[in-house]
Amino acid sequence: MPDGNVIVLLKDVVAGYQTTGRGWRSLFKHVNVVLRGVNLRVYDGERVAIIGESGSGKTTLLKVVLGLLKPVKGSVEVLGKDIYKLPWRERVNVLKQVGYVPQDPYKALNPKLRVRTILSEPLESAKAKPEEVEGRVREVAKMVQLSDKILDKYPGELSGGMMQRVLIARSIIHDPEILILDEPTSALDVSIQAQIIELINNIHKKLELAILTVTHDLGVAQYLSDRAVILYKGGVIEEGYIDDIITRPKHEYTNLLIASYKASI
Amino acid sequence: MVLAVKAKDLRVGYMDEEENILWAVKGVSFEVRQGEVFCLVGESGCGKSTIGNTIIGILPPYAVTEGELYVFNKPVVVGNLRDYTGIRGRVVSYVPQNPGTSLNPYQTIGTQLYYVLNSVYGWDKKKSLEVAKKYLSLVELDPESVIDYYPHELSGGMQQRAAIAIALSTGAKILVADEPTSALDAHLRLQLIKLLMKLRETESLTLILITHDLVSTGKICDTVAVVYSGKIVEKCSGSNVIIEPLHPYTQMLADAVPLLGIKRPLKSIPGEPPKPGEEIAGCVFAPRCPLAFEKCVEPPPSFNVYNGEVACWRYANIAGR
Repeated sequence: MPDGNVIVLLKDVVAGYQTTGRGWRSLFKHVNVVLRGVNLRVYDGERVAIIGESGSGKTTLLKVVLGLLKPVKGSVEVLGKDIYKLPWRERVNVLKQVGYVPQDPYKALNPKLRVRTILSEPLESAKAKPEEVEGRVREVAKMVQLSDKILDKYPGELSGGMMQRVLIARSIIHDPEILILDEPTSALDVSIQAQIIELINNIHKKLELAILTVTHDLGVAQYLSDRAVILYKGGVIEEGYIDDIITRPKHEYTNLLIASYKASI
Repeated sequence: MVLAVKAKDLRVGYMDEEENILWAVKGVSFEVRQGEVFCLVGESGCGKSTIGNTIIGILPPYAVTEGELYVFNKPVVVGNLRDYTGIRGRVVSYVPQNPGTSLNPYQTIGTQLYYVLNSVYGWDKKKSLEVAKKYLSLVELDPESVIDYYPHELSGGMQQRAAIAIALSTGAKILVADEPTSALDAHLRLQLIKLLMKLRETESLTLILITHDLVSTGKICDTVAVVYSGKIVEKCSGSNVIIEPLHPYTQMLADAVPLLGIKRPLKSIPGEPPKPGEEIAGCVFAPRCPLAFEKCVEPPPSFNVYNGEVACWRYANIAGR
C-alpha cells in the first residue's frame, strides 16, 4: 500500500436508496441496500480505479464520497473529516477540495452558458475577487488546452472531447486535493479517448492530486490508475495494483470480467 | 446470392432554415448480402448513423437524398424520392442506441410489444402477448416475469434485449443496431454479441451494426466499412481490419483502442473530424493524415487491394493505377 495521508477513507459503509413497496406496502419505507460494507482508502497523490459492472454500486459509492448520499451505516472521511457529521456549511468547505467530472459531458454542461461563465461560476459562488476570476479561468483553460476562442462558445458548439476538457477544467478550478471521474471516456470516441487519458495523467502529475476513477472499462483503468478496487454486488471483492489484477486475478469474478473483456475486444 | 441492401452513390443531407443542404453522407456505395454481419465504423459525426437511418427509413422530412438504395431489390431511395412501404418495420427493424431512453417508461414491456404486434398484424392483446413471450424467450429473457416489468425494473443489458425482442417481433429480416454495445460493460457486451450471433443463425438475420469500436466489431463482422466524413474510406473483411488495416485512418483507429495487459502508448488522432456539410476538395482525411502527400489534394478513387477496397492514394501503385 502506498504511503502518505489518507484523503478518502470509507469504513464499513452501507448505503442505498429509500423505496416503498406496491399497494399497502407503500405505507412502509425501507432501504434498498446497494453498498454492503465497503472499505476504501485513497492516499494522497494516488490514482485509484473502481471497476465493476452495471449495478455493482460504483455510482452510489461516488455519491457517498461526494456528500450526496448519507450512508445508513459506517463513516466517510474526506481529508480527515467525517463529512456526514459536519454541519452543512463546513461539509461544503471540505467538499470544495473534491473535484468531480460527471459521466456524460453532453448532459452535464448548461447549454445556455458560455464556457467562460461555466468555468467562472464556481469561483464567483466562492466569492473570489473578479480580477482573480479571469486569471484563474485562463490558467485552467490553458492547462486543459482550451483556447481563448473556445471560452466564448456555448457547449452546443463544442465536440465531445472539448466538452470533456471543459468539465475537467471546471473540476480543477478550485485546485482540489482529489479528482473524481465517473466513466471519463465512455461517452467519447475511441479516437479522442487517448487525448483525455493523457490530459488526466498530465493534470495528476502537475497538480499532484489523488485521482479516483470509476469505470467499467478495464482497458481504460489500466492507463488511469495505479491501484484498482473491484466492486461486485455492492461489496469489494478484490483490491490491488492494477497490473497484478490484470495479470493475476485472485477472485473468480475478476477472472470472468477480464476474460469477457478480452473476448469482446 | 441475395442482396439484402445495396447502395449506389448514395448521398444524404439535411436542409437548414436557409435551404442550404449540409451533406452528411457524400456518395457511398456498398452491398450487404443476406445473412451477413455488416458493420459501419467511424467517429461521431462521420455520417454512419445517417446511413443507418436511411436504410431503416426514419430520415426526417427535411432530409435530402440523392443516388439509389435498394432493400431486397426494392428501390426505397431513388433520387429525392423515398418509399419505404412494406419495408420500414416489416423487413428492416431498428435497435436504438440507448434502450433506457427509447423504451416507454409508462408501459410494461408486454404492452409495448402488444402495440407493435397490433399495428403490424392487427392481433388482439391475448394473442399478441402469447407471441410476445416467444420473442422474449428468444432473446433469453424470462417471458413470464419480464412481460409485466416496466423498463426501469430491468438492467441495462435486459433493456437492450427487450429492445431487440421488440425489433424482431415484426418479423424483420434486417436488423440495424446503432451502437448496441456502447452502453454496456464487458460482461454484458460479450453476452449481447453472442445473442446477436445466435439470432443471426436461428432467425437468418442480416445484421447492420453501427459503432465506433473498431476492434470489437472486427471480431464479429463479416464486412467492415470504415466511414469518415460521409465517405467509405475502407471496406474489407472483419478479420483484415484488425490484422491489416489499410487506410491510415483505420490504422490510427486501431492504435487508439486500449488492449488489456498490453500497456502500449495510446495514440489519438490529432485534430477533429470535419463538421457535417464541410466540403474538403481532396482526400477527406488528408488534413489529419500524417502520411498525406501532394497527390492527396485530389479525391482518391476506391482501389481494390489485398481483398479489400481502400480510398487512399498510397495504394495507387499496388492497384496498378
